[in-house]
Amino acid sequence: MSDCSSIDPLITPYIDGDIGAAERQRVDAHVRVCVPCHSRVAAEQAVRDLLRARRVALSAECASAALRDRCAGLGSASARHAGATALAWHSRTTPFAFAAALVVVVGAAFLYVFTDRSTRVLAAELTADHVKCFGVMNTLLGTSADRLTIERAMASTFGWQMHLPDTTLGAGLELVGARPCLYAKGKVAHLMYRHNGHPVSVFMIPSVMRSAVPASPAVKDEVVDVMGHEATVWSSGGRTFVVVAREPEADVAQLVSFVQAALK
Amino acid sequence: MRKPRGEAAHLNRSSSFEADALASLDSLYRTALRLTHRPADAEDLVQETYLKAFRSADRFEPGTNLRAWLFTILHNTARNRARDRARDTVTVDSEAVERAEVSIATSGGDTPETLLLRDTLAPDLQAAIDALPDAFREALWLRDVEEFSYAEIAAMLSIPLGTVMSRISRGRRLLFERLQHMRPAHV
Repeated sequence: MSDCSSIDPLITPYIDGDIGAAERQRVDAHVRVCVPCHSRVAAEQAVRDLLRARRVALSAECASAALRDRCAGLGSASARHAGATALAWHSRTTPFAFAAALVVVVGAAFLYVFTDRSTRVLAAELTADHVKCFGVMNTLLGTSADRLTIERAMASTFGWQMHLPDTTLGAGLELVGARPCLYAKGKVAHLMYRHNGHPVSVFMIPSVMRSAVPASPAVKDEVVDVMGHEATVWSSGGRTFVVVAREPEADVAQLVSFVQAALK
Repeated sequence: MRKPRGEAAHLNRSSSFEADALASLDSLYRTALRLTHRPADAEDLVQETYLKAFRSADRFEPGTNLRAWLFTILHNTARNRARDRARDTVTVDSEAVERAEVSIATSGGDTPETLLLRDTLAPDLQAAIDALPDAFREALWLRDVEEFSYAEIAAMLSIPLGTVMSRISRGRRLLFERLQHMRPAHV
């Protein structure tokens, strides 16, 4: 005869019918001769049978209609949010496609009349765009964007073949979105990143548009403090780049170095 | 044939997932009631469960048990809430379990089991279940009312399979004893 301690762990699965034939026979044999174990089996079995017999009554409590509505609303909201996230890029790429069409029609890239503008004016206006775009598209801070998709959009819109900073190599830089911003008589590409949870903008302008442009192909950076942000402006390869961030100076310098290296 | 747009397909999947998930609302609410004892708290718990489920829908593997997945979220949420309130202690009434074993072993005449089945009304049964210690009530409810497997319960409660069976066993014995005491002859 098996002892009670070896039978003990088998009793509950025995009652639930969740036990093999050999073990079932062991339990059967034991409870025939062991009064305490027999009583235990009888009690557990009775409660199990009772609960199952009263299951319908025990399941009579239902969630209120108000709770059902609220939960269904959560689902709809999540679906809308997911849809909005899925659509967000679509809505961002649509203006790019539109701009691309314009480029074809006009037969030229963008017309800028910036030469009379100072770097400071440029920095101030783009910093305002940085604040506005992140304000309008605040949800972007919680999202990520696909680098390749944006690169393709840039190529089709501006005709720029570029390699954007890679998220995995970006020293904490994560691409969250992109959009064309209106500027003077043309558009500039506004790439939005997240760095340590804070917004960072990289503006790319398809022309050299600074008032005093040195002759060298890679000009020295100009750093402008504006609206509590630091805007770093440089021109390279016939384009102008502006990085806007509100980070410690050393971090901004590191970000700029990274972007400059990545966008070469 | 033109394929549905990515976002349209996504919304269709979301809609189907949402409907399937909401089919478990009543049983989640009942289980939440057993966990919280208060309808308002149960509603909050269920609502938080659905919020998490909908936000994590992409992590659910289609073809697996959605109901068990939702119950897992419910129990995790309840556990975190209890932890937050610093009252995550499970009171195990060992003496009551021992008394139940003694009373079972010494009963005579009409078998207590048959009397139990014949006389216990659902409201009394519900009250006795609600009075069980949390750990036992949880396991017993999931097994005998919601009819989950031992493995599913183990996953939901993050406890070993043996502990699941032990808690079900103790819960049943304790419930048996309490129902015996509630019977008129024992009043």
